[in-house]
Amino acid sequence: MRPKKRVSGFLIFAWIFLLLFTFWTLFPFFWGVITSIKSPGEQYSTAFLPHFQFKPSSYAWQVVLGQAEGERTRQGLRNSILISSLSSLLVLFMGALAGYSLARFRFHRWKNKDIAVWILSNRMFPPIAVAIPFFLIMRTLRLLDTLPAIIMAHVVYNLPLAIWLMIDFFRELPEEIEEAALIDGCSSFQAFLRIALPLSLPGIVAVYILCFIFSWNEFLFVVTLSYRKTMTMPVIIAGALTVRGLDFWKVSALSLLAVTPPVILAALTSRYLIRGLTLGAVKE
Amino acid sequence: MFKGEERVRAIKVGFIVPGLLYLMLMAVFPMIWSFSLSFQRWKAATASPRVFVGLRNFYTIFFEDPRFWNSLRFTVFYVLIVVVIELFLGLLLAYILNEKIRFRNFFRVVFLFPMAAPPIGIAFMWRMLLNPDAGIMVKIMNSLGINVVRWLTDAKLTPFVLMSVDIWEWTPFMFLGLLAAFQSLPVELYDAAQVDGASRFQTFRFITFPLLLPIVVTLLLLRAIDAFKLFELVFGITGGGPGSSTESLSYYIYTVGFQYFDLGYACSLSWIFLGIVLLISNFLLQRLRKEV
Repeated sequence: MRPKKRVSGFLIFAWIFLLLFTFWTLFPFFWGVITSIKSPGEQYSTAFLPHFQFKPSSYAWQVVLGQAEGERTRQGLRNSILISSLSSLLVLFMGALAGYSLARFRFHRWKNKDIAVWILSNRMFPPIAVAIPFFLIMRTLRLLDTLPAIIMAHVVYNLPLAIWLMIDFFRELPEEIEEAALIDGCSSFQAFLRIALPLSLPGIVAVYILCFIFSWNEFLFVVTLSYRKTMTMPVIIAGALTVRGLDFWKVSALSLLAVTPPVILAALTSRYLIRGLTLGAVKE
Repeated sequence: MFKGEERVRAIKVGFIVPGLLYLMLMAVFPMIWSFSLSFQRWKAATASPRVFVGLRNFYTIFFEDPRFWNSLRFTVFYVLIVVVIELFLGLLLAYILNEKIRFRNFFRVVFLFPMAAPPIGIAFMWRMLLNPDAGIMVKIMNSLGINVVRWLTDAKLTPFVLMSVDIWEWTPFMFLGLLAAFQSLPVELYDAAQVDGASRFQTFRFITFPLLLPIVVTLLLLRAIDAFKLFELVFGITGGGPGSSTESLSYYIYTVGFQYFDLGYACSLSWIFLGIVLLISNFLLQRLRKEV
């Protein structure tokens, strides 16, 4: 029975390691939640059991969402939602078209591969290198601190990835269905609209959500292109840092507001998230 | 591939034009502008006019700017360390969860949290945890008898604190990528190895590892390129300090461009940064090209 014993030794080690790692991964989030329901007087205490060790308080949430700073937070949430959803929509529109073109037709002067790789290489640019010319362009166009400026920036940021992933998704559809439709008298545009598009819907939704998450989390472009009206949630967190230091309760509540939406979306699309993050190199 | 009659051609070209045009306008054009600025002196905060200075900015960067070299050194050091540690931890986790462990999907989702959350939010959450006066981490460590109050004020320790947060944030990326790769390996080989009496280590060394190597290299490159752009953690946790011990390249360029408004010089720095990143990306793009 030796092999079996060895397996169980491995299992014990595996579980200890897994539990430790889970604890380490979740602890900062857990602590954020706990801190956000402490009253300012208790924000530095090590108490972690609500009701038993400290009296939970909604003070932080009242400040962040209520009279005092609620307008600012709501504006941040509104900007975040608007920017992420609109920029992802634009990305999806251009991305699906370009992806379909590169997946289904053969280009001659430049090969499809070269075009696709060139598109993806735009994704590798360090954002800070693009941020300076962007700032100047938006200043010239008098678009600083407006939603269009940030949306345009986030579209460039996400478009290469979206095209690249859409090529993959359209490739996975069997061409024969569209060919059959063409023989039946569909135009190639109808074949795209009525057949390829609906069939690749899971991929399209995944790309949309992925772009939404990236846009939601993006910080550098927003912090360089906006100063008051168009701040998104991540920038509002950074703004909570004052000369007096950090108000733990407030930063915790703000961080949770910024962290929760992308985390939930990622959990819902976990299968595609890895594929997106690895640029399609890993497929599940 | 569909064949080319005129109407099909219209779709083929018409579909790709919006995307390409957008990239030309919003990615290529700004970079050309930035390139031309990198040969100028333009301090937007002062009244001094824009002047063409040739290669002066680049000369300054290479020979007269210790802060650039410092940030480059820090960034490279940072990337090398975090990427290696994340790979090993990720490998271990993926290896464990590739076994018939219960609740595998639960772990898969939990480990997504750090990398799906906004990096700046994570930076501030950790800034609170690590706060030398009141952070819970400091209190825990002190109660264990380890004196760590200096970790955000000691230039020798701070880089490692940042690295720990990066490892917390991105080990899951390695883990999930590798787990997916593990699960795509052919089962038959493992059955054969078991029949031949191979040990756990031998199976890993001679079957899993060689099969996994290409994907490991791809993941390493992806992670390295991303880590190279380190910005939010520095912005949120240390602000580049103490001194300039944790100033990453991105953060240095940000400071020059958006705090000193030395735009010409910031563009020169950007182009050097871009060169380095594209050099690494090139390896990755070549690997990905094969898969298109």
